[in-house]
Amino acid sequence: MSPNSAASPLAPPFPFTAIVGQDEMKLCLLLNVIDPRIGGVLVMGHRGTGKSTTVRALAAVLPRITRVAGDPYNRPPEEMHDAPPTAGANGHTERSHTPKLKTERIPVPVVDLPLGATEDRVCGTIDIEQALTRGVKAFEPGLLAQANRGFLYIDEVNLLDDHLVDVLLDVAASGWNVVEREGISVRHPARFVLVGSGNPEEGDLRPQLLDRFGLHARITTITDVALRVEIVKRRRAFDADPFAFSAAWEKEQRALRTRITRAQKAVSAVDLPDPILNRIAELCMNLGIDGHRGELTLARAAAAHAALHGRARVVWPDVIAVAPACLRHRLRRDPLETVDSDEKIERALSKLTLDAPAPSA
Amino acid sequence: MNRLSFDDVVGMERAKQALLLLAVDPSLAGLALAAPVGSGKSTLARAFASLLPAGAPFVELPINVTEDRLIGGLDLEATLARGERVIEPGLLARAHSGVVYVDSLNLLDAGAAAHVMDALARGVVRVERDGVSAVYPTHFMLIGTFDPSDGPVAGSLLDRLGLIVALSAQSDVHRRQEVVRRNVRPASDRPDENGDDMLRALIELARKQLPHVAILDEQIEALARAALSLGVEGNRVDVFAVKAALASAALAGRADVTEADLEIAAKLVLLPRATRPPQPTAAEQPSQPSQAAPPPDGARDPAETPEEKSPDQTPTPEHIEELLLSAIETELPAELTQLPFAVQRRGKTGSRGIALNDRRGRYVRAVPGAPRGRKIALLPTLLAAAPWQTLRRAQQPANGHSASRVVLRKEDVRVKRFRDKAGTLFIFVVDASGSMALNRMREAKGTVARLLRSAYVHRDQVALIAFRGPAAQLLLPPSSSPDRARRELDVLPTGGGTPLASALWLAWQTARQARTRGIHNITLVLLTDGRANVSLHPHPDERSADKEQIQNEIHQLARCIAADRLNAVVIDTQAGYLSRGEARALAGDLNARYVYLPNARAHQITEVIAP
Repeated sequence: MSPNSAASPLAPPFPFTAIVGQDEMKLCLLLNVIDPRIGGVLVMGHRGTGKSTTVRALAAVLPRITRVAGDPYNRPPEEMHDAPPTAGANGHTERSHTPKLKTERIPVPVVDLPLGATEDRVCGTIDIEQALTRGVKAFEPGLLAQANRGFLYIDEVNLLDDHLVDVLLDVAASGWNVVEREGISVRHPARFVLVGSGNPEEGDLRPQLLDRFGLHARITTITDVALRVEIVKRRRAFDADPFAFSAAWEKEQRALRTRITRAQKAVSAVDLPDPILNRIAELCMNLGIDGHRGELTLARAAAAHAALHGRARVVWPDVIAVAPACLRHRLRRDPLETVDSDEKIERALSKLTLDAPAPSA
Repeated sequence: MNRLSFDDVVGMERAKQALLLLAVDPSLAGLALAAPVGSGKSTLARAFASLLPAGAPFVELPINVTEDRLIGGLDLEATLARGERVIEPGLLARAHSGVVYVDSLNLLDAGAAAHVMDALARGVVRVERDGVSAVYPTHFMLIGTFDPSDGPVAGSLLDRLGLIVALSAQSDVHRRQEVVRRNVRPASDRPDENGDDMLRALIELARKQLPHVAILDEQIEALARAALSLGVEGNRVDVFAVKAALASAALAGRADVTEADLEIAAKLVLLPRATRPPQPTAAEQPSQPSQAAPPPDGARDPAETPEEKSPDQTPTPEHIEELLLSAIETELPAELTQLPFAVQRRGKTGSRGIALNDRRGRYVRAVPGAPRGRKIALLPTLLAAAPWQTLRRAQQPANGHSASRVVLRKEDVRVKRFRDKAGTLFIFVVDASGSMALNRMREAKGTVARLLRSAYVHRDQVALIAFRGPAAQLLLPPSSSPDRARRELDVLPTGGGTPLASALWLAWQTARQARTRGIHNITLVLLTDGRANVSLHPHPDERSADKEQIQNEIHQLARCIAADRLNAVVIDTQAGYLSRGEARALAGDLNARYVYLPNARAHQITEVIAP
């Protein structure tokens, strides 16, 4: 019963491309992969609909990243030089790197935050073993370090301890994790895409946390019988032989990976025409959304959507495709209101579409 | 130890069948067994151990199991002794390839339940605490038994268990005799009668047979359709149903799935999760609106579109589904709310409103923090300081006596965290009978909305009981979700008789259940004129109820509630000139605050109960 290293999975995860349905969730994840500035995704919906499976399947379709070999913070070589050094024991610093750094390619980290995780484990702490055996203080990075440049996944995010939520919000906002412990002070980059999931019937999310997620995907029970039969068949095939099943889907996986890589490269150059930008602002205004996070997210998500589809310019249908996920959690809520937030967004969208012809490219 | 063998447990055939299927295919994940006290459910669960291969662990989880016992952590004693970190695996890791058993699954601590679910879902248990990170493989079956009258099991936990069985108490005389006989002289004393060896052999054979059992697409489709008809949430259930059917066929030594197998799957997997009587319409629609126009997201690829259905094969999935539903129908209670798990879906507790706090409730863990105004957890504080002693002593200026002392620093201090349902539970008890009912209900609904709007801040919960016709009804079980309140209170029926006693009874029960889940601030809010005309036990041959009996019931119930120290507010909604003071009398019995608000408006009610 020896523990396995957290990094090596026991069996391959279910292939992302083999997941049936739940398109909105998959789209939201991909948009975040293409532009992490979108700010994460919150997936709320029924149980047993493949939320966790989808998130855990993500890493396998992401292009690998380059980091300095063995760096616990997954830093790329160019970041090592200007990064503040980690204070080592007795005031030594680790800045004695040779200019030529060895690098390695690793899969994009997708780190699970278990519900009972302690703050020590999340933020990092002093390495107990070293303190005991050698009497030295060495920082042992936590889950936030592991998640740098990747994804941090919190299942049942609505059940997370309040004080951990506060820590996460702090770090997510600044991109840096600061630990002061046992007389040492460490500051390391922790930029990650926050992915949360949960069932709304088990409790609502604190408004501060809700607002922090860029996208809000809804997930429901699939009612199409043919799709359901397909789900069962794929699941059984996977359970019977996960390795063979994954091999059979490798071609689709590779195709998606290529598509993502292209979109990642193209997204910063995607053109967002002024007329579309104006209408995005108008849409948010009509819906009475406070602040500017709505517009910003919508603009970024639309650009990522365009890039995903190989376009160099955002067209109005890009906006339509991503608007519900960008805005539905930003509408003011009236507990007993009967109009669904999606319906409101749809109405506002169709009103804009009717008012003026789409200023497409 | 004289443990009963599986074969010795009398009755509970359905539960036994479920356990056999689980033994054949452990990937069914587990069994939730609902039965009243004394039905022998835990005896059966423990007897299940005798069916497993020798050496398979059987781990019993206490409902108040602590996190470090459950998932493991740093073994400090060994770590200090050996000078290297020693990780102690928890109970979940020890259950690998065996059984985890929880008696009173519905009372399992929410945090513990989350870990159990996580381990079930991934087949591994992950330790991320005390500066320790480790992963242990753990594939186990979860068997949970519970008495539904203690409250429901968290829906997220039920969802992960393949099989669900609800039993009623045994009443058959012969069966009772047999129970006693077997208990007095277990089969282990009767070598000629031991059936467990045979069962073990049967399971062994079925496990070998399982990979060779085939199921038709039409049969899978029929199960999926039945799930849809019964309004079962999620898609995981299909996989469980198919696995149960396959295991049933394997147990019978067959290589194909028959209708009997599908029926067993429907009864053990689908029926208990039903949220409505069969409604075939949903299955007839080719797709859901949201599926109709999927965004062009690019994540879809051609391989995802399902294969065409093979046409005109008999029997058609529709036909099988019909057979399945009619087989189930006889077991579907007339009132759907009597289904133990339909109630659970509506009234489940999950972890809603649970708050860790610094002051009261149950001590669950120690966290770093300033001791100001909080309770210091002494042992965790010392444990936190222990590993650093060598280091700190070395750093400290030589100081005669300090070398022998424990060097504590501010950051070692651990304070206690308690788990408690913070906030208040408001139980609205609203008279929905008579002519004024519509107004009362509307304002009550408005009050619910107002309270829930601030529920984020106060962590309040609201429940709503309406009384009209023959009996009171729990329209909204305790909830803090505005979405849910909106859904459940969408339709508010009114008119009919006034079963006030029934309402008091239901309110009392709801309050007591909430207390067992750790909610201690409870306020009953009664909106009524205090007049009742329906008794708790209506006499069958008397049309007009006995007034005295009704008053007596109300009086007694109100006194019981008062004795239970529940806060109450009676809002008298009767127009003044008609009032005969019934509501005021009720308030007196309840030891409640009395407020006269003939045309009670939502904002006034809110003001009264939550100023």
